[in-house]
Amino acid sequence: MSRLPVLKGTLDLLVLRALSWTPMHGFEIVTWLERAANGSLELEDSALYQAVYRLEERGHLEAEWGITENNRRARYYKLTVAGRAYLRSETKNWMRYADTVSSILTAAKDGASARATT
Amino acid sequence: MIRSGIPRLFRLAVRRRDRWERDVEDEIKLHLALRAEQLAAQGAAPDEAYREAVRRFGPLNESRARLLDAARHREQQMQRTEFFGDVRQDLSFALRTLGRQKGWAAITVLTLALGIGATTAVFSVVSSLLLHAVPYPAPDRVVIVEQEPSAGNNTGMHVSITPAPPIVNAWRDGNHTFETLEPYRSSTAALRTNGDPAQISATWILPSFVSFAGERPILGRLFSPAEMASHARVALLSESLWQSRYGGDQAVLGRTITIDDSVYTVIGVLPAALRTPSRGRTATDAWLPLDLSNKRLGLRVVGRLRAGATIGAARHDLDALSGRSGAYPPGKLPFVARISTPADLVDFREALLMLTAAVALVLLVACANVAHLMLSRTASRHRELAIRAALGAGRARLFRQLLTESLVLALTGAALGVFLGWIGLEALVALRPPSLVELVAARLDHTTLFVSVALAIASGVAFGVIGAVQSARHSTHESLKAGSLATSHSRRSDRLRSLLVVSEMALSATLIVGATLLVRSVVNLQDTDLGFNPSGVYAVSVTLPKSRYATPAARAAFRHELTSRLRVVPGIRDLAVAEVTPGSRSFAIGKFEVEGEAPSPASTETSYIDGNGVAPGYFTMMGIRLVEGTTFTDTSDAANQVVINAGYARSHWPSGGALGHRVRVAYQGNGTWKTIVGVAADAATGGPGSAPQAPMLYQPSGDSQYGTSVMIRTQGTADVVTPVRALIRSIDPQMTAPTIESTEQIVANSIAGPRFSMLLLTVFTLLALVLAAVGLYGVMAYSVAQRTREIGIRVALGAPRGAVARMVVARGVILACIGAALGLGGAYLGTRLIVKLLYGVAPVDALSFTTGAVVLILAALAACVVPTRRALGVDPIRAIRAD
Repeated sequence: MSRLPVLKGTLDLLVLRALSWTPMHGFEIVTWLERAANGSLELEDSALYQAVYRLEERGHLEAEWGITENNRRARYYKLTVAGRAYLRSETKNWMRYADTVSSILTAAKDGASARATT
Repeated sequence: MIRSGIPRLFRLAVRRRDRWERDVEDEIKLHLALRAEQLAAQGAAPDEAYREAVRRFGPLNESRARLLDAARHREQQMQRTEFFGDVRQDLSFALRTLGRQKGWAAITVLTLALGIGATTAVFSVVSSLLLHAVPYPAPDRVVIVEQEPSAGNNTGMHVSITPAPPIVNAWRDGNHTFETLEPYRSSTAALRTNGDPAQISATWILPSFVSFAGERPILGRLFSPAEMASHARVALLSESLWQSRYGGDQAVLGRTITIDDSVYTVIGVLPAALRTPSRGRTATDAWLPLDLSNKRLGLRVVGRLRAGATIGAARHDLDALSGRSGAYPPGKLPFVARISTPADLVDFREALLMLTAAVALVLLVACANVAHLMLSRTASRHRELAIRAALGAGRARLFRQLLTESLVLALTGAALGVFLGWIGLEALVALRPPSLVELVAARLDHTTLFVSVALAIASGVAFGVIGAVQSARHSTHESLKAGSLATSHSRRSDRLRSLLVVSEMALSATLIVGATLLVRSVVNLQDTDLGFNPSGVYAVSVTLPKSRYATPAARAAFRHELTSRLRVVPGIRDLAVAEVTPGSRSFAIGKFEVEGEAPSPASTETSYIDGNGVAPGYFTMMGIRLVEGTTFTDTSDAANQVVINAGYARSHWPSGGALGHRVRVAYQGNGTWKTIVGVAADAATGGPGSAPQAPMLYQPSGDSQYGTSVMIRTQGTADVVTPVRALIRSIDPQMTAPTIESTEQIVANSIAGPRFSMLLLTVFTLLALVLAAVGLYGVMAYSVAQRTREIGIRVALGAPRGAVARMVVARGVILACIGAALGLGGAYLGTRLIVKLLYGVAPVDALSFTTGAVVLILAALAACVVPTRRALGVDPIRAIRAD
């Protein structure tokens, strides 16, 4: 199976998800994503940082400099309360959207009546 | 692990821009390093691993630029959020602190609002009446040009001569100080379209007047040069007449209308905004071409000076042209140009300037009060501020917070003030004296709004700064020491506050003196013996169209029919013809001479001698007492009888005996001698205020080609206006409706102006006095609170209650006395400026000055009541134990 490009808008969701357990720095987020997706997502590393900055600007993330296990200075990102709420509601929307789309795609020819909502 | 706190502190030390750029670089570097390490751990060669890390990251330069961009955007956004967050925090803190001291905050806001409100209302009036007196472009160069007798005049009134066309032509052609000079002439006229005639207001202009006024026709065109040259009968309608008579129909062009028996063709419509400079008078209904070849017209002239030309230069310019015009005998200039700005001609100008000064004083009092309210508050908050400083609040942060508090107060005050100003302006318009018709047009103007809001913000900043400076001056350590109230600092601020209160008191005292003077003037005006009885008296004036009343016989017949039929109208008790009706005056120009006496140097060829032509029954009808002699016994021209006024008779023949003397008004040695047959009491028919010393000559009424007027006295409250109108319509159905004026109303109106200014000044004075009393109360209450311990000790040592009360009251009274002394000094200087507004009272009036002092001290005593009671209620045990 070839690698999937990340759909527009879903990267933010994935980053928030990554940070929902614990604060991480950029590379940690990248490796977490790679591991969680089993290498099936195609993503330039720099795109992730862009997403992170965008989320920070919107107040979904907070950043602070900290020290890594190997004693290096790294910028750690943490979910804010607003970010957590956003993750919750957007996850729900995404699930409904994915369900709807897949139900349409897999339905019998005349039985398709579900409607896509985002 | 994340270490919060400390890095955050460091962050503040580095310049922000450097920091976020370096952050991005560091983050990229770390990422590439970690990725390379990860790849190396999976077995890649070190340089291969790094190349792969970069490849996965994306095109390095491009990505870096993109990330820097995103970071910059993020940084700006966060700075904004942070700033607004701080502001919100400051605001909510300010609201909470102010909420804890609701009374104090309310007084401060109200003080500001009253000051700003009063100022806004009065300045709006001043701005619309004096600063924007004419609705023309470049209003600062617009002037009104008239002529006045070169020898001045003796009437105490502004005598205006309307120049004749030859003079105006000479001015227009030869001047080099005016951009444009526009002659015009206004008059009432009879308009007939179809059916009933209506009285309209017509103005004769040159077409250039319209562009001078910055307007253009909304329909049709202006008078063409050919029409002007051929005196064509063409007319432009006003927008309002066009709407009311023709319903705004475009087809009005080319129609004919009859104005004063001449038929005009309508060629256009001019906008309602086009006005002559005489504001407030009836708006013009029809604009007609002005005929400058008619040498007998009297013209009004409005002009625009060239940029840089002064009024003085313009006057010399015009006078030189008048001299060369050939209209006057060579070497003689009986009339000189008088050039005024539109604002100079506004009635009530002195009163407006006085009210402006008064309201400025009120504003000063309000500002002093707010300053001092802020000071006493900061004083009581020293400890709070010191604690917060000790807990690490930076000076800048504290400063900003005090500033926010002041601004919240100032802006609330400003908003309320603008509202009060709006209400005040509405009230001013509603209560306006009838002579001040222009006031109806007054609006809250933008400049005023801007100024008052700027004032509020400036005061907010200023008081915030005062508070902050004071708190900064105060050392933290000193404030935290228990009971350290009597420090040198608090004594200094105490002095500052006393100074503010003394100035408030002084300003109030000045205002009280001024208000008392005006009250006394109005009382004097009301108590003046008018010399006649105005109740139920009306003046009925009729204009006789020249075409149908061309001969004296026709006019006499009309007068006879009018008076004899009026006499039988129910409700009319008495009537008499009078050429000059109450509210107006008419003069003969010349030297007043008494036969057989050396001419008095006071009277010259250009003196104005009051006169009236009346029927013999006029004196009885008006209730004017004849002090000596009788009314006319023979009204024929040959008999030459005259009745003079008692004021002149008394001054010229102090022991009586005016009867039988012959007097005349001589011009260049000519004039008919007339025999005095009676002396009539001085009648102030235009309302009190005119000086009765000058001669006034009553002569038998004669013929006038313009019209006639009859004074009638009615019984009780019967409506005479309707039957009189009906009567005149029945005599001549084509005549326009008569003017019917109530003399009672004219007399009342003449007092309305002074009463209006008095009312306003009294309101402002009370305002200032209340504010000053609040200020004094604040100082007294604060000083009692400060001295609680001292008072407690005194009481414990056996001081009687009387002594404690005296101690408190004495301080208030001393402050009030200093204020009163300064204020009366100010009044001594200031009341000279309002001499013109006074009647029957000297500007330095003992009673008014005493009132100023007494009222002020009474207010001071009232302000001391509560603090004194508080001082008397001090419990010595608790006072000594406290702290």
